[in-house]
Amino acid sequence: MTDATHSGTASGVLPDGTAIDRADIATNPPQRALHLHRELDRVWADLPGWRGFFTSVNHGTIGLRFMATSFVFFAIGGVLAMLIRAQLATREGAFLDTDLYNQIFTMHGTIMMFLFAIPMLEGLGLWLLPKILGARDMAFPRLSALGYFCYLFGGSVIVLSLLFGVAPDDGWFMYTPLSDRTHSPGVNADVWLLGVTFVEISAMAAAVEITVTILRCRAAHMPLTRMPLMGWYLLGTSVMMLVGFPPLILGSILLEVQRAFDWPFFDVARGGDPLLWQHLFWLFGHPEVYIIFLPAAGALSTIIPVLSRTTILGYGAIVAAIIGLVFLSFGLWVHHMFTVGIPHMALAFFSAASALVAVPTAVQIFAWIGTMWDGKVQMRLPMLYVMGFFATFVMGGLTGVMLAMVPFNWQAHDTAFVTAHLHYVLIGGFVFPMLAAVTYWMPLICGRWRIRGLGEAAFWLILIGFHGTFFLMHLTGLLGMPRRIDVYPGNPEWEWLNLTSSVFGMIQSAGFALFAFDIIMQWLFGRRSWRNPWKAPTLDWAMPVPSPSYNFASLPGPRQPDADAILPLARGEGLLPGAPRGLRETLVVEPASGRPQHVAVLATNTALPVLTSAAIGSFFGAMLLGFYWLAPLGILATIIVAWRWGAIMGSTEDRAPAQVAPDLHLPLHFQVRNTLALTGAVALLVGDATLYASLLFGVGFLTVVAPGWPAPPSGLEMPVLVAGLAAVAAMAVGSVAARLAEANRARPSGHLWTLVGTGMAVLALVMLGVVAMGLDDPTRHARDALRGVVVGFAVAHGVIAGLLALRSHLDHRQGRVGANRYGAIPGWRLFQDFWLATSAISLAVVLAQEVL
Amino acid sequence: MGWVARALAGPTLWAVLFSVVYALHGTGCNLGWTDRSVLFTDLHHAAMWVAWGLGLVLHGALVVTMPKGQEGRRRWIIVAGAWIGLVSSVFTLFPVIATSTCF
Repeated sequence: MTDATHSGTASGVLPDGTAIDRADIATNPPQRALHLHRELDRVWADLPGWRGFFTSVNHGTIGLRFMATSFVFFAIGGVLAMLIRAQLATREGAFLDTDLYNQIFTMHGTIMMFLFAIPMLEGLGLWLLPKILGARDMAFPRLSALGYFCYLFGGSVIVLSLLFGVAPDDGWFMYTPLSDRTHSPGVNADVWLLGVTFVEISAMAAAVEITVTILRCRAAHMPLTRMPLMGWYLLGTSVMMLVGFPPLILGSILLEVQRAFDWPFFDVARGGDPLLWQHLFWLFGHPEVYIIFLPAAGALSTIIPVLSRTTILGYGAIVAAIIGLVFLSFGLWVHHMFTVGIPHMALAFFSAASALVAVPTAVQIFAWIGTMWDGKVQMRLPMLYVMGFFATFVMGGLTGVMLAMVPFNWQAHDTAFVTAHLHYVLIGGFVFPMLAAVTYWMPLICGRWRIRGLGEAAFWLILIGFHGTFFLMHLTGLLGMPRRIDVYPGNPEWEWLNLTSSVFGMIQSAGFALFAFDIIMQWLFGRRSWRNPWKAPTLDWAMPVPSPSYNFASLPGPRQPDADAILPLARGEGLLPGAPRGLRETLVVEPASGRPQHVAVLATNTALPVLTSAAIGSFFGAMLLGFYWLAPLGILATIIVAWRWGAIMGSTEDRAPAQVAPDLHLPLHFQVRNTLALTGAVALLVGDATLYASLLFGVGFLTVVAPGWPAPPSGLEMPVLVAGLAAVAAMAVGSVAARLAEANRARPSGHLWTLVGTGMAVLALVMLGVVAMGLDDPTRHARDALRGVVVGFAVAHGVIAGLLALRSHLDHRQGRVGANRYGAIPGWRLFQDFWLATSAISLAVVLAQEVL
Repeated sequence: MGWVARALAGPTLWAVLFSVVYALHGTGCNLGWTDRSVLFTDLHHAAMWVAWGLGLVLHGALVVTMPKGQEGRRRWIIVAGAWIGLVSSVFTLFPVIATSTCF
């Protein structure tokens, strides 16, 4: 069967059988809207009561939970900020002792970055994307829920550590050697490393989820070049997350392994280098600024034209600017390290890139200003926050260009000037737009209109409080006040500035508290909102308020391109009306053109995500408590639960195509190869490949830069290298077996190839075990430690490839594989090839180290 | 996805070129290329010039070839992407021309 079939005289199938190349899809006959609503709500609604909390996978529920939880963490981070300001208000503040102060400023940064900003943007993306793109849900609803519970559990552990006095205290950047076992002997650093890594699972999950949803779950015939700009911004964000987070995850793993098992990645005496940590951290840390900024800019690009009663100016220029930002932001991480002793030429590369990145940012700023100039601005509450953004972010951008210049950076490095700059960028570039977004979309969230006056008062308190706090910090910084100090008895000239900053900080806090009060009042007591209160053109407003669990009673097509289609969509005149098969169905399209390809059946309510996050959490918990011998049980528990995710997927029989429109029938995803899952696997492997590339960067960096090299003579014997070659050969046979298994999937004997693949995976793992036993002691030198990590990477991927081969085998035996059904084979094939490629490169690197 | 690949070709080449030149910089310093003369300069500068020059030639080819057969907004974004890559490579790597290398 092809991916798409037509019936009737107007039917047509593309030569590749994967798409329909026409936009004149006929409309479905109108139905009773109430009937459609009941039918869909029965299928898409969460379970009632407490069961709903643990089993919901609906993007609306999960997205709101992300945002609400992130606001709670934001409040906690804000209270910590006020403790910092209270301490610094006077020269010899006796409010906090140094140890506690260190924990509090570390926790403030950690919470705001990892527990507020990223989850907030994830929540906004999860909640908004299907609505604005014209879909019923995200591509992987269970993954959304898994991400949320990992975030909730990991974040709670990090915050609770403060109550027990074991919170991280080495700064949110966790620089080594401050954070190694010698200088930070307690579990404080472990809380950060393990907790943040646990939370980052949610970031990677969201990145995969958002990427695939934007590329493949848009309205029919909505090409990328006409997608709402919010889609472009979130696509840029998610791709940056896929590439930006793995270096941090790798760095955290390496540092935790050093702390737990004494492998010397960052120990100068044994061939390591603390600068490797800084590189890995800032490879994540700088793009992170743009990861946070892009969704906020997306909100601005959505809100500004609506409240200016016009259309956005320079759509193409903005898309180009997003592309430029996504790439350039990865070329300036070293500007956080200008003072560590890097050669002049390298400094110049990164200084130039840091200055250049201001250009695409400025392009967007000018596009927004031009849009407002072109239209008629309505100064309603979201627009006030937009104005707050302009007043704040532009200043942060300008100080950013100042800091990009090496001589100035050397002067201002690690002073309060930098603190002021980053707050101008992050609060201006993220918090103000997010407040605009929340006030803009609140009627769609809760179905109610806000209470007049409260929001405006909150805005002015926040704006005045913010600038009063942080503008003055530029001055304290220029006067030489370092960051992260708790007392300054010898510098009375800083005191009045700090005292004034602290007073304005309290005003700012009052503003945020009033904002929260305003939102709660709106939710509880606001009058009922009318549909599309802002008269916006985007599809998120083509639905009732508050938004229903299924978003659209029928999905938007070429005849229902914008919010004006609200009534036809509710009557079922769009595509795929109702839920006639009692399944959670949404349309899947070709990535660039938006041509419909097939219908995906999405997961329904299940407790698997919370159980999986608990299993993963048991691994992190065992590591945190130092029960290293128990940690493998956590991995085993995770594998057992994860196996269940795959076991309930697929179909043992061919299903009839779904009628999407009168002359358009599409297959359900069980019968196509290029499914959402396969696209998701590709996205995941992009992140995985980045982690591996970061590891190779580490090998290269330590080899050419770190002191303590060359490494001591290698004790590798010939049998070890032969075992390595044998492992790679077995992987290659496995790759061939995966291809043959797919080619022969319709034949009864096809399962033999899946069996061969499983056997080859086991053989390769045994050979890798031989290699592991033959390696030099990994605590001896950084080179030996890196070799241990490389083998560990291959083993971990071998276990996954083996499980996928076994899953494919069982799929074949149980009838989930056939002429029109692929089971897990495409995913296995993809992963097997990745395992082979990375392992071959690793072997070549080790051989090169031996020969050169 | 062919259109996406075209739009991203220029910035992708910049990312590759930036990484290659930065890696050459580290490798050359480690292997003492500054002490080995090539024509009127040293091996370190020469290696980075060659890499940069070849990269710029490739960028030029992308600017010319990538937008072919495309129209309207699709073409505009591809053109912009190709120029973003070229300008980025010229601007961020121009220090290879004369700056001191390993100190």
